[in-house]
Amino acid sequence: MEVTAVTEILDTTLALVFAWVGYKTTRILWKYTPYSYPNARIRAMEARLFNEQKFNELAESKTLNNFIINLEDSDYKDYLANISSYDAESIEKALDTALADIYGLMFKILPKRVNPFFKLLLQEWDVRNISSIVKAKISGEPAVNYVIELGTMVPKIKAMADAKSMEEILVILEGTEYEEIYQGLLLGEISVDEFETQLYRMHYLKLLEYASSRKDEEKIILEEFVKLKIDKLNILTILRAKAHNLKADVIKSFLIPGGTINKKTLETLLNVDDLSMALAELDSTKYGNIIKNVREEIEGDLSVLGREFDRYIRERLGELTRFYPLSVAVPLNFILQKETEIKKLKAIAKLIEDGIFPEKIKDIVGELT
Amino acid sequence: MDPIVYVSLGAALAAGIAGAASSFGVGIAGAAAAGAVAEDEKNFKNALILEGLPMTQSIYGLITLFLILMVSGILGGNFKFKNPSDINNIIKSAILLGAGLTVGLTGLSAIPQGIIASAGIGAVAKNPKTFTQGIIFAAMAETMAIFGLVGALIMIVTGVGF
Amino acid sequence: MFKPEEMAKIELISLGRYKDNLLTYLHEKGAIEIREVDVKFTQKDVPNEFYRKATSYSISISRLIDFLKTHKKEKGGGIKEFIFPPEKEKKVYKYRGIEQLIKDVEAFLEKVEPEIKAVEGKLNAVQTGIERIKTDIAILELLSALNIEVEYLKPTDMLEIVVGLVERDKYKPLMKDLRETIGNRFVDISKELKDKYLVVFVFLREDYEKANPVLAKHSLERLEIPEGEGTPKDLITKYNEKLKEKEWELKKAKKEAEWLSEQYYEEILFYHELMENERDKAAILNNLARTNMTFALTGWIPKRNISDVIEGIKRITEGKVYINIKDPTPEELDEIPIKLKNLKFIEPFEMLTEMFGVPKYNEFDPTPIMAFTYSFFFGFMLTDFMYGLIIGIVAALLIKGHKHLRDGTWRFANILLFSSFFTMSLGIMFGSYFGNALDLAGFHVPRLLDTMREALTVLEIALAIGLIHMFIGYTLGFIVKLKNGEIKDALVEQLSWMFIIIAVILFVISERYSGFLTPAEGLFVVGFILFVLSELKNGGLAALLIISDFFGFVGNWLSYARLMALALATSGIAMVVNILVQMIWGVKIGAVPIGIAVGIVLFIGGQFFSTAINALGAFVHSLRLHYVEFFGTFYSGEGRKFEPFRAKREVSKLELNLDLKLKA
Repeated sequence: MEVTAVTEILDTTLALVFAWVGYKTTRILWKYTPYSYPNARIRAMEARLFNEQKFNELAESKTLNNFIINLEDSDYKDYLANISSYDAESIEKALDTALADIYGLMFKILPKRVNPFFKLLLQEWDVRNISSIVKAKISGEPAVNYVIELGTMVPKIKAMADAKSMEEILVILEGTEYEEIYQGLLLGEISVDEFETQLYRMHYLKLLEYASSRKDEEKIILEEFVKLKIDKLNILTILRAKAHNLKADVIKSFLIPGGTINKKTLETLLNVDDLSMALAELDSTKYGNIIKNVREEIEGDLSVLGREFDRYIRERLGELTRFYPLSVAVPLNFILQKETEIKKLKAIAKLIEDGIFPEKIKDIVGELT
Repeated sequence: MDPIVYVSLGAALAAGIAGAASSFGVGIAGAAAAGAVAEDEKNFKNALILEGLPMTQSIYGLITLFLILMVSGILGGNFKFKNPSDINNIIKSAILLGAGLTVGLTGLSAIPQGIIASAGIGAVAKNPKTFTQGIIFAAMAETMAIFGLVGALIMIVTGVGF
Repeated sequence: MFKPEEMAKIELISLGRYKDNLLTYLHEKGAIEIREVDVKFTQKDVPNEFYRKATSYSISISRLIDFLKTHKKEKGGGIKEFIFPPEKEKKVYKYRGIEQLIKDVEAFLEKVEPEIKAVEGKLNAVQTGIERIKTDIAILELLSALNIEVEYLKPTDMLEIVVGLVERDKYKPLMKDLRETIGNRFVDISKELKDKYLVVFVFLREDYEKANPVLAKHSLERLEIPEGEGTPKDLITKYNEKLKEKEWELKKAKKEAEWLSEQYYEEILFYHELMENERDKAAILNNLARTNMTFALTGWIPKRNISDVIEGIKRITEGKVYINIKDPTPEELDEIPIKLKNLKFIEPFEMLTEMFGVPKYNEFDPTPIMAFTYSFFFGFMLTDFMYGLIIGIVAALLIKGHKHLRDGTWRFANILLFSSFFTMSLGIMFGSYFGNALDLAGFHVPRLLDTMREALTVLEIALAIGLIHMFIGYTLGFIVKLKNGEIKDALVEQLSWMFIIIAVILFVISERYSGFLTPAEGLFVVGFILFVLSELKNGGLAALLIISDFFGFVGNWLSYARLMALALATSGIAMVVNILVQMIWGVKIGAVPIGIAVGIVLFIGGQFFSTAINALGAFVHSLRLHYVEFFGTFYSGEGRKFEPFRAKREVSKLELNLDLKLKA
C-alpha cells in the first residue's frame, strides 16, 4: 500500500472518531446540563418534606395556634406569618399560595424546553375552579366557598365567583379558551356534567399534545404521567357511572381519549352490568394491583380508588425518578409530593378546627398517603 | 506531516480535550452545587468536594503534555525529531500523537463524571448520608481516564523513552 | 479488634412512676439501643401532654433562636474558630421530672418570649411600613405622569373611580368592550407607559357593576391610591420624609434586638437543648409497652456496660424492677446492632468502615487492616515529603483544637495524620520534596525511584500491591466463611481467587526461575475450575458470567494502576509549578529582580493548590480502592449500626435529682 493511502485511512478514521465523539458529547451535555441545577435544588427541598413524625406532632397540636407554631420551623413560616385570623380557611389560603409559589419556582428553574408543562399543570386548577364555580352558581350555592386560589388566572376566577349572573361570567371568560365551551352550556347545548367533562378533555388533550411534542426521556416521562392521569379519570368516570347505572353510550361521551387502556377493555368496561364486574374486568389491566387490596372498600366508596390511584401515580413517578435522576421526573415527583403534603396539612387544620381528637386525626391523615 | 506537527498536536490535544471536558464536567456539577446551596448552605462542603472530582482529567492531560514536551525535547529548547526524512523521527512523533490522543479522549470521561457528581450532589442534598457513595460513584467514571493515562505512559516510555 | 463489641439483649419491666426518671437516666447514659416491644396484649405507650408541650416549645424556642441569631453581633469566626472551636460551657440543670422542667421552661418563656416578640413585632411593623411607603411612592411615581391631584382619584358617592394598568395590546379592545357595554357614559384618561397603559376611569356608580367584569376580562391591574392631598410630586417628597423617619426607627429596633440577643442567646440555647432532648424522649415512647401500673422496654446493650447500667437502674427504681439479660440467638443475627471495637489509635478509622456499612455480628471488622492500607495508599498516591508535612501539620492542629469535641473533624484529622506519616516516608523514598524543586535548585537528592522517569517500575509496584491487597481480602473472606460454616461458598468464591492470585505471582517468578512454571499452571487450573463451579449456580447465564466476572477481576486488579497514576499526577503538577517558577525566576525589570517576588508567590500558591487537589484525589481514590476493589472480595457491610438512645448535650448538663450523679 502507498504511504499516502495509509495516511488517508488514518485521517478519515480520526475525523470519524472526532465527529462521533463531538456529536455524542454535545448530546449528553444538552440532555443533562439544564437539569443539573434544578435537580439539586429540588432534592434539597425534598429533604425538607415532612415525615410521619412531623405529621404526628402536627396532629397533636390541639389548637390552630399551636398548629401554626409547629409549622414555624418549616418553609411555610413566611406564608403563615401574615395571616390575620387563626382559622382553617385562612390557613388553607396561605398553603395554597405556598403551592402556587412552588409551581412558579419550577417554571423558573426548569429548562425552557419543558417548563411550559408546569404552566399547563397549573391550568388544571383553573379548570377545577371554573367547573366548581359554574356548578355552585347553578345549584345556587355561594361559589366563593369552592374557589381554590391557585392557577393562572386567579383575579378572573375571583371576579367570576363574585359575578351576579351567568352572563357576567361569559364576559369574563371572553377571549379565553374556555369561552366556547361555556357558551355551549349557556345556550343549553350541553349539560353541566358534559361541560365539566369537556373542560377536562380539552385540558388533558392539551397536556398530551405538549407531552408528545417533547423528545427522548422528557417525552417518555411526561406522556406516561399524562396518560396515567387520563386513565384515572376515565376509570373513575366509568365506575361512578356504573354505580349510577348509566347507559354505555352516555358514559362513552364522558371519556377522554389518549389513555393507555385499550379500546377493547374500555368497550367491555362500558358494557358490563355492575360495579363489581367492572372491577373484575380491570383486574386484567396494569391497574389490577391497585384494586386488589382495596376492592371491598371501593365498592362502598369510590373516592378510595381515587386515592389509591394517586398513590400509584406517585409511586410510578418515584420509580421514574430513580430511573432518570437528571430529568423532568424529579420536579414532577416533587410537585406531587408537595401537593399531598399540603393536602394533608389542610386536612389537619380543618380537623383541628372541628375539635377532632389527635388519634383520630392521625388515622384520617394517615389514610391520605 | 512534519514531526513537530505530530508532537505538538499530541501535546495540545491531550491537555486541550481533557481540559475542556473537565471544565464541562465541573460546570455541570457546579450548577448542581449552586442549586443545593441555594436551598441550604449546609450543603456547601459536600457539594464543593463532589464538584472538584471531574477536575482530575485535566491534570492527567497536563501531565501528558509535559511528558510529551519533555521526551521530545521541546522543553529545553532542543527538539529531538527535527529531521522529517528520518523514518524513526516520524514513528516516534506519531507515537507521541497517539499517546496524547489517548489521554485527551479518555479525558472526556470528565463529562459523565460531572453528570454523576451532579446527580450525587442532588442525592446528598436530600440525604447527607449518601455523600461517600456519591463520591465513589463519581470516582468510577475516572477509571477510564486512569487507564488512558497508564496506556499513554506505556506508549511514551517504551515507544520513545527519555 | 477484628470483632465488633459483644452485645446482649436487655428486657425490663418496672412501675410506671419510675418511667420518667428511668428514661432520663438511660437517655443521659446513652448505653442502650431501645427497640420496639413486641406486644399484642398490651398498649403501646404514647407521649403525654408534657411531652407534647416539649415539642411545641422546642419549635417556638428554635424560632426565637433564629431571630436572635440574625441579630447577634458577630464575634471571632473565620479560620481560627474552625481549627480551635471554643469549648462551650455546660450549664447544669437539676432534673425533677418533666412536669417541673416544663414549668421552668414556661417560666422562662413567659419572661423572655414577650420581650423578644415585642421587638420582633416592632421590627416587622416598621419593615412593612417601609415596604408600604415604598409601594406608595412607586405608585405615585406612576401617577406623576398624569399630574392630577391625588384627592381627585378617590371614589365619591356618585362616582366610582378606577385607576389601573392595562397591557398595551389589551388597551384598545378594553375601550371597545367598555363602549359596547355602557355606551359613552364614562370618562377616561390614559397615558402610555413602557409596555402598558396607565388609565383612569370614571364611572357612574350604577354602571360600575356592568363595567367591572369587562375590566376583569382584560386583566386590568388596579392601583391603590395612596392617602394624602396634592399633586403626586408633592406627595412623593412628603412620603420620602416619612420613609426616613421609619428607617431611623428600624435602626433603633435593630439595636434593641442586638441587646436582647446579647442578653438571652446563651440561655435560650440552653433551654432549647433541654426541650430537644425531651422531644427525643417522646419519640421513643412509641417503642414502650405499658399497662395501668407498669411499663416494659427492650433493647440492646454492649456487654461491658451491663453491670454499670443495671446498678443505675436498680437505684432509680429502688429495686422494684425485673431485668432480663440474654445472649443473642442465631435467629437474631440480623437484629443485633453493631458497635465497632478497636484499639484507641485505630478508632478514628471506624468512620471509614461505618461510611460503607458496618459488618454483621458474625463477620470480620476490616477497620484494623484498613487503618494500615488506607493510610499507605493515601501516602503512595501523594508521595511527597513536603505535602505530607503540610497535611500532617494541619491535621495535628485540628486534632488539638477539636480534642474536647471528638467530632467528625477530629476523627478525620486523625486519619489524615496517620496518612501524612506514610506520605512523608514514601516521599523520602521517592526523593520528592515539593516535587523536583530541590533538583531544579541544584541539590542532589537521594532517591530509590523516580516517579516520572521510572514510571513503569512504579506501575509494576502498584499492581503488585493490588494483588497482595486483594489476596488479603479473599483470605479474610475465606476465614470468615469457614468459621460461619459456609464451607462450599468459601471454597468456590474465595479460595478460587486465592489460587489464581498465587498462580499469577508464580508466573511472574517463573520468568526468572523456570521451575515455578508448572506449579503456577497447576494452581491456575485448580483456581479457575473452582471459579467456574461458583458460576454454575447461575444456570444458563453461567457462560456469560464466567467471562464477565473473570474480566471483572482483571479490571479490579488493573484498577490499582491508579496508585501510580495519582503518584504521577502529584509529581507532575509539582513539576509544572516548579518549571514555571524556574522560568519566571530570572526575569528582571531594570535592576529590580521582579521574577523572584512573582516566583515565590507562584511557588507558594501553586504548591498549596497542588497539595489540596492531590490530597483530595488521594483521599477519594484510596477510599474507592477499599470500597470497590477490596470490600468486593469479602465484605458485605450489611450490619445495623448501634444507635444508642442518647441525649445530645452541648450547652447543658443534666443532674438527676437522686443521690447519684450522671456523667454528661
